[in-house]
Amino acid sequence: MKGTIISSIVAGLLIVGALYYSRANPPGVTDNANNVKIENGTQIVEIRAKGGYTPRKSVAKAGLPTIIRFETSGTFDCSAFVSIPSLNVSQALALSGNTDINAGTPAVGTLQGTCGMGMYPFEIDFEG
Amino acid sequence: MHCNACVTLTESELSEHPQVTSAKSNLGTRTVKICGDFGDKSFDEVAKELSGLLSQHTLSAESEKKAVNWSDFKIAVPIALGFIFVFVLLQKLGIVNLVSASKVTYGTAFVVGIIASLSTCMAVVGGLLLSMSATFVHGDPSTSLGASKFKPQILFHLGRIVAFFILGGVIGALGSAFALGSTGTFVLSLLVGLVMLVLGINLLDIFHFTKRLMPAMPKFISKRALSVSKMNHTRPTEPRQSFGRALTPALVGVATFFLPCGFTQSMQLYTLTTGSFWGGALTMLAFALGTLPVLAILSFSSFSVVGSPKAGVFFKTAGLIVILFALFNIINSLVVIGLIPPVFSF
Repeated sequence: MKGTIISSIVAGLLIVGALYYSRANPPGVTDNANNVKIENGTQIVEIRAKGGYTPRKSVAKAGLPTIIRFETSGTFDCSAFVSIPSLNVSQALALSGNTDINAGTPAVGTLQGTCGMGMYPFEIDFEG
Repeated sequence: MHCNACVTLTESELSEHPQVTSAKSNLGTRTVKICGDFGDKSFDEVAKELSGLLSQHTLSAESEKKAVNWSDFKIAVPIALGFIFVFVLLQKLGIVNLVSASKVTYGTAFVVGIIASLSTCMAVVGGLLLSMSATFVHGDPSTSLGASKFKPQILFHLGRIVAFFILGGVIGALGSAFALGSTGTFVLSLLVGLVMLVLGINLLDIFHFTKRLMPAMPKFISKRALSVSKMNHTRPTEPRQSFGRALTPALVGVATFFLPCGFTQSMQLYTLTTGSFWGGALTMLAFALGTLPVLAILSFSSFSVVGSPKAGVFFKTAGLIVILFALFNIINSLVVIGLIPPVFSF
């Protein structure tokens, strides 16, 4: 009896901990990786897709023609299928290589996307 | 009730009632199980009304009372939580990154299959399978004894493997995938989530009103969900019906080809590039065989508990896991079409 209560508490704590670390937007995780570059007036946001998206959060400039470039290398998991509801994008990436998705000329705001099943999110902050 | 004639008589007499969808008599326990939509009438009212139909028997609602074994939850809850924890941990440790090949051989496809069965795909295919197989056994333990008890499970796995082989070959030969669009995927995953939710709640065995709750949902979903529990009730006197029922698990197995699982879809896309029937068929076969060990453990675990005093704990654990997976799937399907912002992140 005592054992089951203790094990329930331990299991409960483990779950809360696991959920805490698997939240969509953990505080303080703003990868300021150099993944945004501008070539010939076009902004390119590079995101690696394998077992999730890295960086999970990118910061880019608003008001520039923008391409999101997904890099894959033997990606078989869900991240090979990108879904960006606000752009009406639902697309499969190449198994290995680069796949460009045109994001138009984004206004100030946050672009949210996930993988095809919804458990790997990513976002791009477009700042003015 | 005294004899088999009474069984047939009560069943046919009760079925005449317009609101009764099915009636099944049991001589051993002297009970009749009646399914139907009676609106908000109480059990006693229904029993009285239906008794009027019977020429030589009366009905009482008493046997409907069933004790809920709450103490099972003391063990079931920690086990279910532990299972989910291990599941989350596996994803956090980056199990999906174990595939590093850029060229796909049959061996790679097999390994991808093993990893897929341990990934979040388990929440979809594994959850569906667990809810189904536990429901078979739970629904009627008597039919789970004897040689034919593995039949629905074997049919499911057979249907799945054969479908992956044939459909993989077709994709390879045609060079075009029959992938569902984003709307199709959304409808399918929402449907699977709802069916799992209903089956999971039924497995918990605490809400006797679940069956009355069901008509509130689209009828075709609740009907599907309930018919799962009847899948292995084969009656030799009705060959056509029993054939149809035996076919259902196999068809669910076939349907898993289209369920939203990243790995399955990647393999299908790769299969496109093989350009031949045999290349595609063998790749998908290797993938399906890779997923088999974990799925087999999930589906056959239900049998190890039949008749044991721990059966109640097992069904409640399975019910909780299925409910959590169902919620996970429903939330994720809403995220993908952009109705709600991302909730989980693995």
